[in-house]
Amino acid sequence: MSEAVETTVAEEEIDLAGANEILDHYVGMPGALMPVLQAIQEHYGYIPEPCVHLTAERLNVYCSQIYGVLTFYAQFHLEPRGKYIVRVCKGTACHVRGANRIGDTLQERLGIGHAETTADLKFTAEYVACIGACGMAPVIMVNDATYGSLTVQKMNEVIDKYVSMD
Amino acid sequence: MVNLTIDGKQITVSRTATIYEAALEAGINIPVLCYAKKLLPFGACRICLVQVEQMKGRLIPSCTTPVSEGMVVTTMSDEILKVRKTVLEFLLVNHVIECPVCDKGGECDLQELTYAHEVVTNRFQGEKFNLETDEVNPLIERNMNRCVLCGRCVRVCDEVVGYGSYSFINRGFETKIATAFDRGLNCEFCGQCVSMCPVGAILPRPFKFKARPWQLKEVDTVCGYCGNGCTVSLGVLDKKIETIRFNDKIGVNDGNLCIRGRFGYSYVNSEERLTTPLVRKNGQLVEASWDEALQVVADGFKQAQASLGILSGARLTNEELFLLKNLAKVAGTANLDHSGGECYKGVTEGLAGSLGIAASTGTFPQVEECEAILAIRSDFYETHPVFGMVVNQAVKRNEAQLWLVADKRGKFAKLPGAQNLLHRPGMELDVLNGLARVLLDEGLAQTEGVEGLAELKQALAEFGADQVATRTGVDAETLRVAARQLAAAKKSAILLAYGLPYTAYSRELGIAAANLAILVGIPGRAGSGLYLCGEKANSQGAIDLGIVPQTGGLGAQAMLDAAANGKLNALYVVGEDLLISYPDRGKVEKALEKVPFLVVQDIFLSSTAAKAHVVLPAASFAEKDGTFTNAERRIQRVRPGIPLPGQAKTDGTIIAALIEKLSGNLAFTGPAAIFAEIGRSVPAYATVSFNGIGPQGFVWGGEILTPSRRRLQPVGGAVPVEGTFQLLTGSALYHSGTVSTRAKGPQAVVAEAYVEFGREDAKALQLKDGDLVKVTGNGVELRLKAKVDNRLPKGVLFAPYHFAAAGINRLYKGEAAVSVTVSK
Repeated sequence: MSEAVETTVAEEEIDLAGANEILDHYVGMPGALMPVLQAIQEHYGYIPEPCVHLTAERLNVYCSQIYGVLTFYAQFHLEPRGKYIVRVCKGTACHVRGANRIGDTLQERLGIGHAETTADLKFTAEYVACIGACGMAPVIMVNDATYGSLTVQKMNEVIDKYVSMD
Repeated sequence: MVNLTIDGKQITVSRTATIYEAALEAGINIPVLCYAKKLLPFGACRICLVQVEQMKGRLIPSCTTPVSEGMVVTTMSDEILKVRKTVLEFLLVNHVIECPVCDKGGECDLQELTYAHEVVTNRFQGEKFNLETDEVNPLIERNMNRCVLCGRCVRVCDEVVGYGSYSFINRGFETKIATAFDRGLNCEFCGQCVSMCPVGAILPRPFKFKARPWQLKEVDTVCGYCGNGCTVSLGVLDKKIETIRFNDKIGVNDGNLCIRGRFGYSYVNSEERLTTPLVRKNGQLVEASWDEALQVVADGFKQAQASLGILSGARLTNEELFLLKNLAKVAGTANLDHSGGECYKGVTEGLAGSLGIAASTGTFPQVEECEAILAIRSDFYETHPVFGMVVNQAVKRNEAQLWLVADKRGKFAKLPGAQNLLHRPGMELDVLNGLARVLLDEGLAQTEGVEGLAELKQALAEFGADQVATRTGVDAETLRVAARQLAAAKKSAILLAYGLPYTAYSRELGIAAANLAILVGIPGRAGSGLYLCGEKANSQGAIDLGIVPQTGGLGAQAMLDAAANGKLNALYVVGEDLLISYPDRGKVEKALEKVPFLVVQDIFLSSTAAKAHVVLPAASFAEKDGTFTNAERRIQRVRPGIPLPGQAKTDGTIIAALIEKLSGNLAFTGPAAIFAEIGRSVPAYATVSFNGIGPQGFVWGGEILTPSRRRLQPVGGAVPVEGTFQLLTGSALYHSGTVSTRAKGPQAVVAEAYVEFGREDAKALQLKDGDLVKVTGNGVELRLKAKVDNRLPKGVLFAPYHFAAAGINRLYKGEAAVSVTVSK
């Protein structure tokens, strides 16, 4: 029965070519699960369910086990994520310098709180503990770019910039 | 061996033992929650903490700590008690207290430990979970609010079942046990997790609110489904089976069961059971008294005499089969047979001709220790699931190399390191011959004292690895490696299942398997075995007792032919639904139509019974007293747990009554006396008395059956099946024969027939699950629901044979595979 369910799920519109290519490198290698999942997330931006079934089949690991790993580590995401990941630092330094207001601004402008993604899949918000840039608190990261010494106004400008980008 | 002291007691145990096991051996009981005998040590619950003199400063989990020389262990002290109580308090922080309405109440490990440790208050407070109960499936309910995260379900499903439904998900306080994507349970429903759960988190749904555990009477008997011969403990209340109880104390199955054994009992309680004899009058079957019915039958048999045919199923007890054979004698007929007459020939003609014995040579537990296992047909897991679990453990725990000669990528193929010699349908023989040829070519074969070597060599001329590769699709080099590994292993097993849906080349496969076994030195070698496993609970008993054509008599197929040609005057069918389960329904229909007098003895008004002139209501396994012999020659006691419904009688009583009517002699003397009588004609059964059969049964011939000869018999290859699509039939895991289609458990999971496609074919044909397809072959067209998965290679279709309405046997006439066309 479960196999039948797997099939219907696997038929969702996900191009598995990328995942298959990743798996080609790792099949038969012991301890391959973590690097495979990381590479799949890198490729798709998240871990689509059909990829879990494919990984289970090709690495001969139970689906349940993979799901256990995926839910254990915070780094894995089972839902599609935004093109721009906005990490709002809520570490001590940022907190005392107004990180909450920065977070609220993001919430007001984009309507997303922690771990939420906009419907157009453009932005995902993440409240994180210290990102190691306390000297420039309060600070956010958008993908790999860091924006420090933020005020509400500066935060709005950063958001404007990304909203206008593709 | 290691010497240690536990609670002042000097103990010597194996160096592989844990402290917990050492204590248990010394009769010292350490409380546990997450420990289970059949699972690997885990150490999750911390209930079993003890003090070890040499490891001061902390308490040591006894279930995961191996013993060492001179260890001094204390299992109880104020400190230990305090810690155990604290552990229980922690568990009770999250665990919801619903004991009054929990079905586990009265046999819950947590409840008992809490009581024993007098944990009356809790110093800690925390949130209870409020997780939704998983009751998506009809058999297993999961209430994770009661879970104590011992991981037994996770481990049993992986280690023993090899399915892997469960995993720990999330982290920290949020940790819980869930399926992939935290959905409702959707698995094989063997219920091993139910039997392992120490609390009420995983429960059998059919048992909900049926009884308190202490109200149940437990009756240990043998499962009536397959030839595995698992012990089932019937949980009986008010003359009704309410559940199957966990029992790992006795029997061959270590408490393991499959869906059929654990959830397939309900047919016994069915409202549709036959409760009174029926006699056909004016074209209608009407209720009759036993006297009347038996008289009609006896008169009919007297009239038919030598032209009477007797066909039996293989779920009668040995005692009943013995009486049936006597009845044939008394009635003056030699036409006696069982299970379609063809499927068991691998044993009666194949093994018997090669080894001089008609049975498996080893016992199941030995397979767990084998280095190499060759399983012929991937369906083995589906025909004998619990033996399949033994193979799982051999591979997963003991790293046995598993080789499969299979036409599918079944569950065995997913086991670690399993190598599948995936061949075109029906070509098993060629692969086996190919393996034999490699052994001979490379000088790996054991040929000392072996007869027929020259003939075999000659017959294998056409079976070089490359030739076999071309014909079967199996890679030649893989074939060679398989043969070499089989030859190199000191302990190895060859497994072949047989049954009604596997009739093609039965004799030849038995021979080819025996040839291979002889060449790698299996027969008679300690720890090795050749296993030919019958489909039904007493298939081996039927062979041992000789329920086969007597001198000059007709076999099942010949009887049907004779009947169809008007040359058989009467047919007596006991415990078998020929119309559904025999190959070639057309032929069976014609035979039943033409035979002037048909008597059917069964527990349901089966399709075959509906055509009868007289129907005799019989008993299920749960109402019988006697013995079954399983596929490893283990004679086990079958005990009645419930009374017979209505006026139904056991098959033994009915057959004996007929013997009495025909001969005037008393025949039914009780199972013990009849068993003793069996011993007079079947010497193997004379080595034990009925009451001497212990809780582990009695394996006739011993753990290793030494063959009386080693004769290689030449055997040809198979004829390849042509055509784009080839249909296989066989057994589905959830069912066994036709009886299970009357059982709520298996029916709840697989309720109707289907035809299975591999993904490649499904894609090409644009099929998805549930689509109706037309399958045409042998001039017959069937409409079946499609099921798509990844088991089948391109061009291969599979349809289980259990379901009456589907009519698979209209199309399947006993071939290895049927060439079919498929359209939407």
